[in-house]
Amino acid sequence: MFNLVIGQYVPLDSVIHRMDPRSKLISVFMFVVIVFLANNWLTNVLLILFCLGGILTSKISPAFLFRGLRSILIIVLLTFFLNLFFTGGGPLLLHIGWVRIYQNGLIQSIFITNRILVIIVMTTLLTLTTSPMEITDGMETLLNPLKKIKVPVHEFALMMAISLRFIPTLLEETEKIIKAQAARGSDFTSGSLKSRMKAIVPLLVPLFVSAFKRAEDLAMAMEARGYHGDFGRTRLHKLVWKRRDTLLLLTMGLLTVALILARL
Amino acid sequence: MDITFHNVTHVYHPKTPFERTALDRINLRIRSGSFTSIIGHTGSGKSTLVQHINGLLRPTSGLITAGDLKIQAQKKKQDLKPLRRKIGLVFQYPEHQLFEETVIKDVCFGPMNFGVPSAEATKRAEECLSLVGLPSQFWHQSPFDLSGGQMRRVAIAGVLAVNPEVVILDEPTAGLDPSGRKEILNLFKKLHQEMNLTIIMVTHNMGDAATLSDEVVVMDSGRLVMSGTPEQIFSRDRELRKIGLDVPETMLFLDSLTDKFDQPRMTPVFSLKGTADRIAGLMNGGAADV
Repeated sequence: MFNLVIGQYVPLDSVIHRMDPRSKLISVFMFVVIVFLANNWLTNVLLILFCLGGILTSKISPAFLFRGLRSILIIVLLTFFLNLFFTGGGPLLLHIGWVRIYQNGLIQSIFITNRILVIIVMTTLLTLTTSPMEITDGMETLLNPLKKIKVPVHEFALMMAISLRFIPTLLEETEKIIKAQAARGSDFTSGSLKSRMKAIVPLLVPLFVSAFKRAEDLAMAMEARGYHGDFGRTRLHKLVWKRRDTLLLLTMGLLTVALILARL
Repeated sequence: MDITFHNVTHVYHPKTPFERTALDRINLRIRSGSFTSIIGHTGSGKSTLVQHINGLLRPTSGLITAGDLKIQAQKKKQDLKPLRRKIGLVFQYPEHQLFEETVIKDVCFGPMNFGVPSAEATKRAEECLSLVGLPSQFWHQSPFDLSGGQMRRVAIAGVLAVNPEVVILDEPTAGLDPSGRKEILNLFKKLHQEMNLTIIMVTHNMGDAATLSDEVVVMDSGRLVMSGTPEQIFSRDRELRKIGLDVPETMLFLDSLTDKFDQPRMTPVFSLKGTADRIAGLMNGGAADV
């Protein structure tokens, strides 16, 4: 029931998997920004090609990736049609009832949909190829300078790591409780809105109880193993910046230049 | 209500990198009124198997019948309530499913979901709480104020209150202290004998499987490898060890005893009294099998 691909990590062995999380984070961040440089066919095709290249090098099955994207299809379609119906300009292509579709509207909605899609594909690719721990480690190191102005970077990173770590656990727990209540005749999937809302209570209460209990156990276990915050803490897995990471950033730089040159 | 499995296969996360076959062409028949134990290593598919019986999981292919109800692979929605009314499932650590303000309300949750009127549900809840041995002073307390063992009994009462014909137990004694374990197992033994409930129990304890059940099913990596009476199953100790299982302690004890005295191995015996009889026979110099 939880076949959301976004945020899942698929442990494979590819160049992208082996890259330093810092270079990947910077690249995805850059990508999300430079996507907005694309404003014509050439630049949009360039973005798509870049995405496809990323997917191919990651060794992740494209079918798996796209099947996971189905869950956000509704948002993408909504954006597409909103732009299609409400953007004017250019010759009128279609006129049925109150619906008027103009050429500029059509082009605009294709571009915007493409923008959303490539952003989602790239960020999903980041989480598919980088374990949650690596992502938080990378973030923490990247944000380290902020410690100078007393931002609790380590604490934020720890909070994030814990939340990411417990998403699958809580999903599993949710599934188990849904099943346990379904076995007692509770129905989450049919009936009126009101009865469905009521069916949520037997799910939420046990979930909260167990989440609090887990948090307590975790705090205890961390203290028992001598956790004392950031100060004087060493790392088991040191992040190593390699040549491929520099290469990735250079590629991103090239893409940026290409986009600027190709845009109108 | 007889339960049968015909060529049941279940694949988790099909067509993803996480694809895993949890059940592989299972054929099985569980007789009405029997006490069946399912044993197997962790991850052998025991829990997946039992969740098919009341339709919490659907097979990827194959067919399960429970009485005249059928469960098979299909996309179309099927009303599973009649099935779940007759087949109760007590999950592992069932105390995690409690949510109501009071114990009695929580036990009433099941029956009321199946349309039993409130007064009748309360009556059933009281009966079931007495049956599981929870003193009435706790009935109007919050379930979260009870001890772990008491919470488990409330959860079990919550399943029994629906009046199922078949009760599935997924490791019902995990995490309980020895006396709690014994009480829970005795409860199900009593329910099986006196109320003729069909009981299906998933367990890691070979002794429990041997002493309580009249049918034992052995699972290994999603396959059903053996099924038969406890005597039949536990006399195949070499095969059991090969898949990481063992025989009950009484047999381990007798085997090491007969080895010490250079006597031939004995046929399986599971109860402490039976073991004592065998030892007495051995000491009196007679044949080991009395």
